[in-house]
Amino acid sequence: MSFSLNEVEATAKRAARGAGYDWGLAEEASKATRWLCAQGLDGAAVLAGLLEGGFAANLPAHVPQNLSGSWQADALLCPLATGAALSDCAMRLQQAPQAMGPIAQPAFILPFAALAARRLGACVTIEGEGFQAVTDGSVLQVEGTLPDTAASLTIRAEGSLPASAPLATRAEPEEAGWAVLNRFAHKTYAPATEESRLLGAGAGLSDND
Amino acid sequence: METTAQTTISRRDPAQVMRLSRLGSLHQCRLSFMRVLTRRMAEENWSFSRPKFDIDAKGVGVAVYTATGPARSYSLVAFAHDLPPEMRSDRVIATAWDATFALFDGVPTEADIERLSKNVPYQEAGRVSGSELSLSRANRSVRLWAHVVECLSEGRQPDPAQIESVGYLMRTTAVYGSGKFGAADRDIIADRAEMKGPFQAEMLSVFLTRAFVRDLVEHMARARGGDQAARMAPETARQLGIGNSTGLGMAPYIVNHPVLFNNWIAAREEAIARVRSVETATGEEAACFRRMLRRSEISAARWRSEHPVQVEKLAALAKDLEALAAWVAADDLLNDRPWDRLIRWSEAELSLEGQELAASLILEPYGELVDELAPSMADHNKDAFVIDGSMPVSKLRGLIAESFGWALDLDWDARENCARAWYVSEEKLEPRMGERFEEPISEYEQPLAPARDAALAHAALADWDADELIAGFLLRHPEHRHTVRRAQMSQVAPYGEIRSNTISDRVLPIDMLRAKLSFFGATHFDPRSDRWVRICMYAGAPYPEGLTTANSDLWVYPEAEQ
Repeated sequence: MSFSLNEVEATAKRAARGAGYDWGLAEEASKATRWLCAQGLDGAAVLAGLLEGGFAANLPAHVPQNLSGSWQADALLCPLATGAALSDCAMRLQQAPQAMGPIAQPAFILPFAALAARRLGACVTIEGEGFQAVTDGSVLQVEGTLPDTAASLTIRAEGSLPASAPLATRAEPEEAGWAVLNRFAHKTYAPATEESRLLGAGAGLSDND
Repeated sequence: METTAQTTISRRDPAQVMRLSRLGSLHQCRLSFMRVLTRRMAEENWSFSRPKFDIDAKGVGVAVYTATGPARSYSLVAFAHDLPPEMRSDRVIATAWDATFALFDGVPTEADIERLSKNVPYQEAGRVSGSELSLSRANRSVRLWAHVVECLSEGRQPDPAQIESVGYLMRTTAVYGSGKFGAADRDIIADRAEMKGPFQAEMLSVFLTRAFVRDLVEHMARARGGDQAARMAPETARQLGIGNSTGLGMAPYIVNHPVLFNNWIAAREEAIARVRSVETATGEEAACFRRMLRRSEISAARWRSEHPVQVEKLAALAKDLEALAAWVAADDLLNDRPWDRLIRWSEAELSLEGQELAASLILEPYGELVDELAPSMADHNKDAFVIDGSMPVSKLRGLIAESFGWALDLDWDARENCARAWYVSEEKLEPRMGERFEEPISEYEQPLAPARDAALAHAALADWDADELIAGFLLRHPEHRHTVRRAQMSQVAPYGEIRSNTISDRVLPIDMLRAKLSFFGATHFDPRSDRWVRICMYAGAPYPEGLTTANSDLWVYPEAEQ
């Protein structure tokens, strides 16, 4: 089915929240998923894979233990929290490349590298075993195949891109990933009660006159 | 927002403007989205047509209304239904309506109409496509509809008192845009000149809906009365607007879009500052103000509500208008910054309703100072979302204190200060507000209490070294990330935060609804409870075929009696 990017964004935000991420990271997840879909990738499937990793249940174990040096954790890095940190630390890429890993769903780092590229006003290159991606914030070029897990990534402020490529304006996610997002999103909805039906939406004077 | 005009009077302080009590007293003005649309369509000489009106004697069928501007066309595809009375509800949980609509991007083919006929009548349960810009529905005002059909079918005109007391034949109960239910994203139209301003597609949809409703009621009268049926007198038709029922679902919008909401408020505040800075007014400018004030008095006299809060506000407004008329009568409004003097007087003497009405009214004589601000009301600043992790902790704390200083010392554990929680119901996926301590909803709470969250983040930041970078704090405290983002946004959006408690036991969500609807250009706010409100749109406006530059702007003010 064809979805608007706004629908992707709204569903991704609810899904990330439903999977246990705090609202600020859920917001990052929604923009990142939308960005991937605009690049013609199945952002919903990538986010679904990430959420099924279950990192939110113990997030401190899946974020860089320290922002200096190479970014590592005792367990797999969560690409949502790590990507947010990469975007936050964008300016540091001017001084030195950032290494990180091992990390789950490295495709989910791409939108955050794009945010960094926008802040730097320069291309950012993301390199891992078997693939390389370059983005200037709006255009993305990927060579090779992005794995489900990357042992290490190097992100540097360099690279070049061909002239701008058209962005997708609709998303057609695979059903399985989309269903996963909706399953997680559903956890954010409060079960309806008769009380909430009457009070919560604020019925008052007659609405049929 | 870019500004070029010189102002000696500065914009009002966000601390004054952004209180919910004041936002809940805002009035339409020159920058309201309906007026921006009708001015543009008249200036650009848009043409309008009705390529299809295929509706049977029972009032069931489809009609198409097309509006064509210099660059492209937009079409309202309207489906009319025969709705049993017991199914009619304005609540968002309704599943059937008297009429349903989509705004089509262009001119629809028969295949498009066929596709839409299988989806639009079902609203949220259907799907539209990237060719549609909005999805909406409307219900009849049962009593006025029946009265008008009966009168017209018998060759009579409807009773003016009944027309005035209701004000509309149908009211919309939701107008969905921006990619909802599969429609085109805002990005698709955001760069088109005619759609650049906020909500222009939705406002166009309602403008065309009003023409459809007039045509439908005349059609029904003809179906009943045959040759003896009358058409509605133009002055009666003109007085009728489109009603709108707006519930809680819309309230979170202004919290969830702080930069956009800032741009609306900032544009109006800039307009007010520009006009207050005018040193001397011309006789014509002063006369224009006096005319609009008189016409506002007529509008206010027609404004009815049964809700106790609004009843009290309307009583205050009536007194305010008397005081304003007296002040204006005693002043020539020509010298010593007349509009600034008026505003300063109003702040001392009038209720919030009266103050905000006065602030909107002084803009009327100054289209050349004000109207150019309309395009700045859109939000093109996608980068405002991105957090600058290199900001030191001390600066971030300062930003929070700037917007939420008033909230930092509040006891957020006291029940009255956090009595409510906003959540999304499983049933219709619509925002609701409940009692935190009486319903099992807090684990589903939406981030719609920026003040409480700001106080929490401010306290957590106190444990961090002032020079530490916010990126380090966020790595350890992802729970404050949304608050850090908003605090940084406030640098470009000083009017982006509501400076009142949105979860207190006394919060009135209707204040949030009114703030938003006033920018649409709505009038006659009629709260039906503390969390939903009825309004009227386009009452007094010309119909598409009669739109000219002479009547495209000031229609919102009823004509003074001769």
